[in-house]
Amino acid sequence: MSEQTIAPKVSVAPEQFTFVKYDAAEIVEVVSDLAAKIGLANPIRVVVDETTPLAAMSSTIDGSSSDALITIHVESGALEDTKNFTNFNRHHAEISLGRMLLRAHDRLRPDFDAAPDDDALSLQEEAAWNTYVNGRLERLGVESNRQRWRYNFRNRFGFSDAADARFDELWNATDLSWSDLAAP
Amino acid sequence: MRQFFPVEDLARDERFVQTNMAERMKDVRAPRARSSENGNRVSAKSRAASARLTPDRHDASDAARSLMHGIMVGEIQALEGAGRTAHDFPTGDGTNDTIPFELKLDMARQAWDEARHVEISVKLSDWMGTELGQFAENTVLFQAACSNDPVLRLAGVNRALEGLAIDVFTQMKEFGDIAGDPYLEFCEDWMLADEVTHVKMGSDWLRKVTEKDPERRAKALEFQQVVDKLFSFGGSRSDSDESPIGLARRFRELAGFTDEEVDDIAQMGYDALEERKAAVKLAQAAAGAVAV
Repeated sequence: MSEQTIAPKVSVAPEQFTFVKYDAAEIVEVVSDLAAKIGLANPIRVVVDETTPLAAMSSTIDGSSSDALITIHVESGALEDTKNFTNFNRHHAEISLGRMLLRAHDRLRPDFDAAPDDDALSLQEEAAWNTYVNGRLERLGVESNRQRWRYNFRNRFGFSDAADARFDELWNATDLSWSDLAAP
Repeated sequence: MRQFFPVEDLARDERFVQTNMAERMKDVRAPRARSSENGNRVSAKSRAASARLTPDRHDASDAARSLMHGIMVGEIQALEGAGRTAHDFPTGDGTNDTIPFELKLDMARQAWDEARHVEISVKLSDWMGTELGQFAENTVLFQAACSNDPVLRLAGVNRALEGLAIDVFTQMKEFGDIAGDPYLEFCEDWMLADEVTHVKMGSDWLRKVTEKDPERRAKALEFQQVVDKLFSFGGSRSDSDESPIGLARRFRELAGFTDEEVDDIAQMGYDALEERKAAVKLAQAAAGAVAV
């Protein structure tokens, strides 16, 4: 990860929320902080679908250069306080958006050219990639419940010692290519 | 010892945040990702064939964790409710707000079962990566156990609430079975067996205590319908594939529900689903929402 100080241009849509009590400025702040930690200088646009409480996310990048726009689509549940519905939770947002930003960061690498678009990822590919990014996020200071991700991984790869060993390998990895990640 | 305990006084530590149905109903967001029929983007999560909670959903693990937490707090409230019913009413022949001693014994047995279910659910939550209190606790279950008439409690808790538990446990057992999760499948199966017994106790005692009082029985069944409707809020439980939880018809039959009663609940769930969809559409139109 880059150590240099960077200030990506971040925008959030909508600017005013109707269905949830979110503040666009706070989301900009979260994304800017995460991008700095990750070392992403690209402009970033976050589009929040506040009309659903679900938590699906996807991202696209319009190129592979450092000025290519990263667009993150996120349903409102991914940023929500699960104890106080419709309220924003910073830590939950960091885990969700951090995951998307790290995936976008991976996609900027030439050895991720073969990675399918987010909407075309298989359940197993998504689980493997999420494990890889959550392990790195934790080491960047964004703590997540590792057992949650292990459970998700087991649901996709089976409840076995072999699956657990693969999970640990991905969680602790730092420099994988898409072919490393997608390997069985 | 104090009798008739209000929901506001339930003991919880600082990890738990409580909510209720009124609060939940204020949230007008669509419970499901919209399909492309109205021109909106189809999210990754909506790629599963249905809304039913099965492992092929993209959000399967998180949805199962959230439901498991709901089960866990439901078990705590069911324990509290059964305990209250065993204690709140004097022993008698079932008239004048008394309850037969054998009914008290059944409630005590249920409390013991629920205590075991709480322990199982806590361990399952831990296994699935959920922290206690991670999700808001909806207190609707205990509220159904606060009636001054014990027969209404049997209808609202043992038949409506425990009936829902039959549906939920059947769904979770199937989830564990398909995903290959040995603990989830096994634990849900064992708890399901208890829930069928609890509903059967409710069905039997409701009939017995109101044998000579058809008016009281009708009132209790009406209350059960109200509670069933609350539990069907948003169409979260129905025969439709658009509902996360299906109706476990065979187990409900074993628990003493007639086919007609199960059909009524199915219709209620379907109506609730349609009502919710219409309400969401209205709210979104009013807000001038543009899906992204």
